[in-house]
Amino acid sequence: MDTPFFELKNISKYFAKVIANKDVSLSVDKGEVLALLGENGAGKSTCMKILYGLYHADEGEIFKEGKRITIKSPKEAMRYKISMIQQHFSLVSAHTVTENIILGNVKGRINWIDEERKIQKLTDQYGFDVDARKKIKDLTVGEQQKVEILKALYLDANLLIMDEPTAVLTPQEIDTLMEFVKDYSRRGNAVIFITHKLKEVMNVASRIIVMRSGIIHGNVLKEKTNEVELSRMMIEHKIEELEKVKDNNYVKDVCLSVKGLTIKQKKGIPLLKNISFDIHKGEIFGIAGVSGNGQQELCMAICGALKQAEGSINLDDTDITNLSIKKRIELGMGYVPSDRHRYGMIMDMSLSENVLLKTSYSSEWKKNGLIDRKKLKDKTNQIIKKFNVKAPGHYSLARELSGGNQQKVIVGREVEFCGEFIIFDQPTRGLDLGAINNVHSAILKEKQNNKAIMLVSTELSEIFTLSDRVAIFYKGEIQGIFKTSELNSEKIGLLMAGYKHQEAI
Amino acid sequence: MDKKTRDILITNFLAILLGLILSGIMVLFLKKNPLQVFGILFSSMFRDGYTIGEIFVKATPLIFTALAFAFTFKANLFNIGAQGQFYIGSITAVTVSLLIPSPFAIPLAIIFSFLISGIWAGFIGFFKSKFKANEFLISMMSTYVALNFMNYLLRTTLMENKGEYPQTESLVKSTWLFKIVPHTRLHFGFILAVVAAIIVWLILYRTTLGFRIRAVGQNQEAARMSGVNPERIYILAFFISGGLAGLAGVTEVNGVQHMLLQGFNPSIGALGIGIAILANAHPIGIIFASILFGALHVGGTIMGQLSGVPSSIINLMEGFVMVFVIISYFVRKRWEQNREKKLLKEGI
Repeated sequence: MDTPFFELKNISKYFAKVIANKDVSLSVDKGEVLALLGENGAGKSTCMKILYGLYHADEGEIFKEGKRITIKSPKEAMRYKISMIQQHFSLVSAHTVTENIILGNVKGRINWIDEERKIQKLTDQYGFDVDARKKIKDLTVGEQQKVEILKALYLDANLLIMDEPTAVLTPQEIDTLMEFVKDYSRRGNAVIFITHKLKEVMNVASRIIVMRSGIIHGNVLKEKTNEVELSRMMIEHKIEELEKVKDNNYVKDVCLSVKGLTIKQKKGIPLLKNISFDIHKGEIFGIAGVSGNGQQELCMAICGALKQAEGSINLDDTDITNLSIKKRIELGMGYVPSDRHRYGMIMDMSLSENVLLKTSYSSEWKKNGLIDRKKLKDKTNQIIKKFNVKAPGHYSLARELSGGNQQKVIVGREVEFCGEFIIFDQPTRGLDLGAINNVHSAILKEKQNNKAIMLVSTELSEIFTLSDRVAIFYKGEIQGIFKTSELNSEKIGLLMAGYKHQEAI
Repeated sequence: MDKKTRDILITNFLAILLGLILSGIMVLFLKKNPLQVFGILFSSMFRDGYTIGEIFVKATPLIFTALAFAFTFKANLFNIGAQGQFYIGSITAVTVSLLIPSPFAIPLAIIFSFLISGIWAGFIGFFKSKFKANEFLISMMSTYVALNFMNYLLRTTLMENKGEYPQTESLVKSTWLFKIVPHTRLHFGFILAVVAAIIVWLILYRTTLGFRIRAVGQNQEAARMSGVNPERIYILAFFISGGLAGLAGVTEVNGVQHMLLQGFNPSIGALGIGIAILANAHPIGIIFASILFGALHVGGTIMGQLSGVPSSIINLMEGFVMVFVIISYFVRKRWEQNREKKLLKEGI
């Protein structure tokens, strides 16, 4: 076998709280388009930032054409002809295209005419339609991306890393980008394309590496795979067909009703488009989909952290569309967030304080103007016992607990204090089996208590075992709402990959 | 003892030691024996009752400015403008005491100084929440506004009747804070400071409001998702913080100087920041850290008189200690991060 163009060997990277990459080895050859596929937070970007010198690996080595190299900064990466286009562009918006491209690469007097001619030559070569004298702030997002690419071309890069390049583009712009990627790689250059969108991968890549939780879970040639297989690799190794043990009877009273919900970004494509559904009392409503297709935004919009552009949300008979998070909590809305470190818990506070977090405005805890510490302690110990949390006591700091036990505390808190409707966003991600069972039985118990439940999950087995009905999300839209009995893993996989219902059958 | 407390003790001890060693080297340049000079420093602190009382007098305003910094620090905000808030409090205290020359002036001065410097600082929080302004810069610059405002008043409305110096009339005796130990200058203000520290501790650790402030400080997103409005917390935290710094104005005007004059206590704001960090922003710890700095200050002044070493060496020492204390905060953070990383590696 030939020596690969660039190779990463056994790269590991630890952040203060999480493992971002564990033992990642991959290589890319000249003329190849390598897709790095995985869900948000799977470690794709981290891995590439290591190659680009933005992060330093805690373990592992990098090779170029068989020779070991160390890359300490982007400047050094550029010396090895590596260029990376970040998800958020690094352009100076008040400067012109030319100024941005030559920034950091010129010394002394600048020969503007010469530089502009050079840039013009590059744009002609690849058929880019960008005016070198325009200011960045006057360009569209797609054009700005072209400037980023031109920056790489100007530096004569042979390896171009693109981090989620299509996330901000319109369909037409995506087509042009794909053309460029193919053209560029045909000229003997290598491209690494980070994405979580399956269709793009099948369109552009020659080889695909799938990452999950910081580990490589698949390395396949495009010809030898298909979208269904890839989506399975991304989500879990094997979807087991599970027996469903439950009754599909729920009361017909609507609890949460979402109508025409749309959320727009400042520029570009909407994050959620015209979402409508009802969740009934005693129903578990599953939201399936590859992560990053609008599920997070949906949760945020329902609990009040994200303002919607259009549409309305009703809880019971109250219109909560414009209510604050605090009001929604008081009306009985619970939320178990997917990112518990960020949204769910305060790691340096005790379990008691974390139990208090959600209901700190309630008069329940007040005694003579101070916190009723005895009551809070008893309640916390009760949650610890009821949800089988392994912790020394109510005084332990949240960070001293394992992930599973942290999650049990959050689930316990939401279940105990929220009376009507609970969102479970990826409630079992990263948990061990015991904790998963605990969380699942808590969810089913709440169903019996006649609460309405929205379950967002990328684990299909979880969706299949628990939900009464399932909505499949793709690019911020609902692909369809089905009774769980109408679905099988084949069909749901295709729907998640973006095929419409008719195609899926 | 957990690892965090251990870190705090070790790093603070090292910071003070390094400060002493460096200023000792400075003493060497003056061709004096540092050990002898420091010997005088420490023995002179406790030579008589008056001097000991003086330590607490000096500590009193430092407790307030340190509490002011600590309070916003718990909300992960930086109030660098305690000095200016102290000036606003001083202006208020002297105005109230001049207008009402009776003992009633004392409670009124306390209330109004707290309110007005609280509102003054509240604007910093308001600008942060409304315009996402950097509270660090605004609070810092607001000190200069307050300073020049005070100087302006001292040359106009508040100027003494003789019109000679930029200072106010002396306050009548009935508006002075009473002495708590005879034959010293130690006044009621010290008790006020200790009570304030205890109340701040109660608010932060025993009320839901304090809980929300700390929640915003530690994880703003989680607090927001739990219904807390962090923007409102910014304003509130700055209001209370500014009020605390303003109270230092009452203790200094009504307790020590009995008038307001130009160049009034110019460094208590900066010292407060260092003291708060030295005490890891713990209100009760602040009392002791302030007494430590009060002692250094008093001892240094006497040392200057006795040993022939200029007393500015003590300012230098305070400065060195402060710098090392602030560096130690970042050292501790680094240690903790490395510990977590190691745990993670072992856990696999």
